[in-house]
Amino acid sequence: MNTNSNVYTVIYTTIVVVIVSAVLAFVAMKLGPAQDANAKAETLRQMMSAAGVKPTEELYATNNADILQLYADNIEEAYTIGLNGEKNGDLSIAQDKIELISKLKPQHKAILAGEGATLPVYIFKGGVTVIPIYGAGLWGPIWGYVALNPDCYTIAGAYFDHESETPGLGAKIKDEPWFREKFVGKTIEWGEERAFKLDKNAEATGAPNTVDAITGATMTSKGLNEALNIWFKAYEKHFGVGAFFHALEEHAIEETNVNAEEE
Amino acid sequence: MAQKLKETILNPILKGNPITVLVLGICSALAVTVQLKGALVMALSVTIVTGLSSLICSLLRNTIPNRVRIIVQLVVVAMMVILVDQILKAGEATYAIDKQLSVYIGLIITNCIVMGRIEAFALGNKPIPSLLDGLANGLGYGLILIVVAFFRELLGSGTLFGFQVLPASYIPNNLVILPPFALILLGCIIWVHRALDKDLQED
Repeated sequence: MNTNSNVYTVIYTTIVVVIVSAVLAFVAMKLGPAQDANAKAETLRQMMSAAGVKPTEELYATNNADILQLYADNIEEAYTIGLNGEKNGDLSIAQDKIELISKLKPQHKAILAGEGATLPVYIFKGGVTVIPIYGAGLWGPIWGYVALNPDCYTIAGAYFDHESETPGLGAKIKDEPWFREKFVGKTIEWGEERAFKLDKNAEATGAPNTVDAITGATMTSKGLNEALNIWFKAYEKHFGVGAFFHALEEHAIEETNVNAEEE
Repeated sequence: MAQKLKETILNPILKGNPITVLVLGICSALAVTVQLKGALVMALSVTIVTGLSSLICSLLRNTIPNRVRIIVQLVVVAMMVILVDQILKAGEATYAIDKQLSVYIGLIITNCIVMGRIEAFALGNKPIPSLLDGLANGLGYGLILIVVAFFRELLGSGTLFGFQVLPASYIPNNLVILPPFALILLGCIIWVHRALDKDLQED
C-alpha cells in the first residue's frame, strides 16, 4: 500500500485525530467530577485560610470531604453583589455554589468593563467576611482572599496565590506566612482613591492601610497592589456605606459615654 | 538480543544521557528543579510520556505517512501529555503538585527528548524496545532533574522534600532558586560526567 498518496495521508490523519479527540473527551468526562471537587476544595481552603477558620497548613492537610464539611459548618451567608453594591444573587450554602478561583478572571473583566459583575461575598460565623481579589502578577495571574472583621474596615486575614510567579521572589506572596500575616489588623480606607497601599516603604508612612512591597518582587507587588485596589473599589459601595455607618455608630457610642461621664 | 536490550536501557541513563550528553530538555530542567517534589513528579510524568508515546508511535510506524509523520507524532505526544495532566489534576494528592508545576506539565509536549526519541528510535524499532528506550530516556532525564533539585532545594530553601534539613540559622541562598543557578549546576554535572567518562571527551 502506498502510504505516501494524498488520499491515504488525509484519511490517516483524520482517523488519528478523531481517535485522539475521542480518547481525550472520554477521559475529560470521566475525570471531570474529581477535578471539580479538587478545584472546589482548593478554593475553600484558600478562603478559610484567609478567614482564619483553621491554620493554613492544617487546611492543606485536610482531605476534600472534610473541607466541604468544615465550610458548611462555618459559613453563615454567601451572596453576590453588583458594582452598585447591591445584592444581585445568592450563593446558596446548601448547594455549595461557591465561586471557583477559575471564575475570578471573568469577574475581573466585568469589573474593568464596569458592568455585569456578580462579586461573591462570604460571611462566616462570627461575622468575618471574605472577598476575593484577582489581578496580573509578573508572569501570570495572581489572586487571593481577604477577610474583613465585622466592622468591614479592618482586615482579619488574607491568603494569596499565583500561577507562575518567580519562586523565592514573587512566589513569597503565597509561600511566606509572614507576608499574609502583615495584613492582619490593617485597614481598608473605603472611599479613598487607593483604599490600600502595598508599596516600597509604605509602612514607614505610619498609615494603617499600608504594607511594604516584597524586596526583589517589584512587579508582583505592583500587580498585587493593583489587584487589591481594583477589587476593593468594586466592593466599595457595598462595604463603604456600611463602614461609614459603623463609624458613625461608634462615634455616637463614644459621645454617649462622654455625656454619661459628664453627668 | 538481551545485550542489546540492556544497552537500550542503560545507555540513555549513563553514556547517552539526554540532558548531560545530548543536552536536550534543558529548559524544563531549569524550571522545575526548585523543589525535589516537583522535580520527582516531573521526572515521572516525562518518563511515562516518552515511554508510552514511543510505544504508540512504534506500533504505528509502518502506517504513518512519511510526509506528515512529525504531525502524527505531535498528536500522539500531545494526547499523552494532556492525559497525564488531567490525571494529575483529578488526584486528590497530586492536585497541589500539578498546581505547583502549572504550565510545565503541558510544556512536556515541547520537550525535545520526547520527539527526539520517537524520531531517532521508535520509528525504526519494534514496540517493546521502543517502550524501554522511551522509559530509559525519561529516567535519564529524571535522574539529572533530581540531582539538580536536590542541591537547589537544599541550598535554596534549606529543606529536602519540604522537611527542614539545614539548621534554621542557615540563610537560604536566593541565587540558587533562580534559573541561572540551575544552568551553572548543570554545567558542573556535565563537567563531572565528562571527567569520569573518557569516551565522552572531545579533543
